[in-house]
Amino acid sequence: MAKIVAVTSCPTGIAHTYMAAEALEMAAKEMGVDIKVETQGSVGARNEITVEDLRQAQAVILACDTKVNEDRFKGLPIVRASVKDAISNPKSLISEALNMAKPESEKPKKTEQKDYVDQVFEAKKQKSSSLTGAYKHLMTGVSYMIPFVVAGGLLIAISFAFGINAFKEEGSFAAALMDIGSGNAFYLMVPILAGFIAFSIADRPGLVPGMVGGLLANKLGAGFLGGILAGFAAGYLVAWLKKVIKLPKTMEGLMPVLILPVISTFIIGLGMIYVVGKPVAAINTAVSQWLTGMSSSSALVLGIILGLMMAFDMGGPINKAAYTFAVSTLAAGQPSMVMAAVMAAGMTPPLGLALATFMAKDKFTPDEREAGKAAIFLGISFITEGAIPFAAADPFRVIPSIMVGSAVTSALSMIFKCTLAVPHGGVFVLPIPNAVGNLLLYLISIVAGTIVTAFMVSALKTKKEVVAVAQ
Amino acid sequence: MDVRTLFSPSRMTFDLQGQTKESVLDELIELLYNDGKLIDKESFKKAVLKREEEFSTGIGMGIAIPHGKDSSVTEPCVTFGLSKKGVDFASMDNQPAYLFFLISVPESADNTHLDLLSFISRKLIHEEVRNKLLSAKSYEDVVSAFEEK
Repeated sequence: MAKIVAVTSCPTGIAHTYMAAEALEMAAKEMGVDIKVETQGSVGARNEITVEDLRQAQAVILACDTKVNEDRFKGLPIVRASVKDAISNPKSLISEALNMAKPESEKPKKTEQKDYVDQVFEAKKQKSSSLTGAYKHLMTGVSYMIPFVVAGGLLIAISFAFGINAFKEEGSFAAALMDIGSGNAFYLMVPILAGFIAFSIADRPGLVPGMVGGLLANKLGAGFLGGILAGFAAGYLVAWLKKVIKLPKTMEGLMPVLILPVISTFIIGLGMIYVVGKPVAAINTAVSQWLTGMSSSSALVLGIILGLMMAFDMGGPINKAAYTFAVSTLAAGQPSMVMAAVMAAGMTPPLGLALATFMAKDKFTPDEREAGKAAIFLGISFITEGAIPFAAADPFRVIPSIMVGSAVTSALSMIFKCTLAVPHGGVFVLPIPNAVGNLLLYLISIVAGTIVTAFMVSALKTKKEVVAVAQ
Repeated sequence: MDVRTLFSPSRMTFDLQGQTKESVLDELIELLYNDGKLIDKESFKKAVLKREEEFSTGIGMGIAIPHGKDSSVTEPCVTFGLSKKGVDFASMDNQPAYLFFLISVPESADNTHLDLLSFISRKLIHEEVRNKLLSAKSYEDVVSAFEEK
C-alpha cells in the first residue's frame, strides 16, 4: 500500500490544524492509502512522524499556513497546500501526492538514506542532551552578554590606538570611542548578563529585576559575580512569586506587567543595596588595607597575590582593590614594579582563554570560539573583561585557570624587576620610550602566563557534546 | 475530563438571530460573557476578527468555528449556536453556515483543554456528526453528537 506522510499547521493551531488532519485521514482511508498526519498545533506536535515513517513514505503533503521545517523530508516529493485545501479537498491532494510518489526503484540509495536517518537520530539525541537547569540559564545570560563585551572592548582598544591617553582629551574621537565602549557597552554588560539569566528562568517578568539587579551590582562594585548572583536571585524570586501569589481571575492580567515586576524589583534592589553592597564595600576596604601592609613583603609573594586578585573577579571588589593599589604606587610619576605586574596579570586572562579556544576547539561553544578571537585584541589592550563571558559560563574551571596564569605572569614580572610608568594601555604603551622597564622580560612574563592559563583551561574543561549536526 | 466540560447549557442557543458574520459573533460573545468566561468582550472580539481576516473560519459544510486566543478569556471553552436560516459567513464553499462553534482560549491554556478542542474540530469533519448537530435541540443533543462513535 502506498504510504504518505503529512503535516498540518495553522496560525492559531486550535481548530483548522486538526480538521485538516482529520479530513486527510478520512480521505486516505476511502482511497486505500496509508497516511500518517502530524499536527503542529498550539499543544505542539502530535502524532509525530518518526524515522520509520520517513523510511516508508513515498510522498509528503504539507498542508501548512505557517512555516514548518522541511529538512527532514529531503529527497521526497512534496505537495504544498494550505490548510483550507486539505479541509475542502483532501482527496485531490492525496492523488497529487500519489502521482508524484517515486516508485521503489527510484528511491534514494540505501546509503544516502541511512546517512540522513542517522542525522535525524543524532538531532534527537542532541535535543535530549541539551542544556538543563541553572547551567542553561547561565549560558543564556552569557550568550546575550558576549556581543556587548566584544563591541565595547574593541572600541576601547581602537581608542587606545590613538594613544593611551588620547581619550582624556574632551571632544576627541578617541574620547567618544572610550565613552561608547567603556561608558556604555561595558556598562550594559553585567545588567544584560543578570537580566537574561533571570529572563531564562522566569520569562519576561524576570527581565526587570534581573537587569536592575545587574546594574546595581555594577554601581556597587560587585562585578560580574555580583551580577550572576542578582540574575539568579531575580529569576528564582519571580518564579516563586508566580507560584505563591494567587489573584482573582479578573486581576490576573496585572501579574506580568504590574505585580511581579514591582515586587521583585523592590526586593532584589533592596537586597543588592543592603545585603550585597555593604560586604562588597567592606571587602574592598579590607583588602586595600591588607595590600598596603603587604607592600614591604617579598616581590615574589606580592606578585603572586596581585596576580590572583586581578583574575579572581574581573571588575569586582578584589580586582578593583589590586588595581587601585597598583595605581597608587605610581604616585609622583615614578615607574612602578607593582603597576607592571598588575597590568600584565590583567592581560593574560583573555589572552590565555583566546589561546585555549584555538588549542581545544571542541571544548568551547561556537559563540565562545568567536568571542575567543575578539579576546586576543581585548587581552593585548589590557581589557580583562574579555575573559568574563568564559568565566561566567564555567566559573569553577575558568576562574582558577586564569588566576594561576595571572599569578605566574605577575610573579615573573616582579622577579624580572619590570616596571611600568602608566596605569593603562596594554601593548599600546610598549613602544613608548621609557614607559616599560625590561621590555623583553616583560613580554616573556605575559606569554608565560598566557600559556599556563591556556593549558590549564584546556585540561580542566570537558568536551562539548553539542555539535552542529546538519552540515 | 471529557467533551461535556467544554460546553455548557448556558452557552448554547438554538435560535441565532443574526444575519451577518458580525452580528452572529456578537450574539455568541454575549453568551460567553454572561456566563462569566470572559472579562473583556471587545478585546476578545478583536482577537476573533483578526483570526477571521487570515481566512474565514467558515469551513464549509454549514459549519463555522470562529476562535480566538486572548488574555480576556478566563478558561478554554466552546459556545454553541445554531442558526435556522443560515448566515453568510464567507465560507470556503460559499454556502451559508448553520452551526457555530465559538472557541475561546486564554493566553496560557493547558494541554488537556487544547487536546479536547482538537478532538471536537476533528469530529466536525464527519458528516454523521454534523447531521446530528443540525437537528440538535438541547445541550444533551449537542454533547452526545460528539460522544458517539
